[in-house]
Amino acid sequence: MIVTNTETIAGYQISEMKGLVQGNTVRAKHAGRDIAAGLKNLVGGELSGYTELLTESRRQALERMLAQAEQLGANAVVNVRFTTSAVTSGAAELYAYGTAVIAHPVA
Amino acid sequence: MSGPLFQLTIILFLIGLGWLAGSRAEKLHLARLERREKNNGLFLVSQLKNYPAYVDGNLPPRLIVAETVVASDYFKTFLAGLRRLFGGEVRSFQSLLSRARRESTQRVVEQARALGYNAICNLRVESADVGGSTGSKKGAAMVAIIASATAYQCHFPNA
Repeated sequence: MIVTNTETIAGYQISEMKGLVQGNTVRAKHAGRDIAAGLKNLVGGELSGYTELLTESRRQALERMLAQAEQLGANAVVNVRFTTSAVTSGAAELYAYGTAVIAHPVA
Repeated sequence: MSGPLFQLTIILFLIGLGWLAGSRAEKLHLARLERREKNNGLFLVSQLKNYPAYVDGNLPPRLIVAETVVASDYFKTFLAGLRRLFGGEVRSFQSLLSRARRESTQRVVEQARALGYNAICNLRVESADVGGSTGSKKGAAMVAIIASATAYQCHFPNA
């Protein structure tokens, strides 16, 4: 499966559109991570717990999106976008969406 | 050992701690970013939607995503609080945002490089919301940035 955030795929011809595919997830870290983040907010630096949280959410949302694309019989997803929203403190929603297509390499 | 004097001591201690640890963390981070950006100098980064200088290779284009969450420190939060009284540019948070953006971008570049690509296009750098505290009035700011791009192989005319 080829996934890009551009409208076209270089070296490939898009022959068929399969429609919008999407995936979302809401994930939270355990309270210990939140406490650690609170402490980190005193001294500065990267909040690796929340970075991980975003990475996991993004992976899961993409996986769900790709599962939909597979079901539609697509072999590529183009123009993928991400949006996030905060549901409550310590939980993040990540939404990934794109257009499922069938692409062939240009001979 | 209690009362307003004790509380003031704690706050002053936290401001001092934030100033020392925070500025050290920031300085180290900026130095690290500088080094990595130099190291990745020969990597084509663009936010064009087409593929500049695309060359047909054996690797199909591929989506790369990286995220970074950077915390403010107590000193910066305190400065921003003061700034809110008088208005104007909040420099302490501005550097926080630019650090998170540069970090996310470098992570995308490094991931793409590790996979054998030498260019990315359509780079999107967005801020994300983690747990609402980004918007809370209570201070404790943190900045979450998601960067996404499409990696591909390009041809450098002079390389």
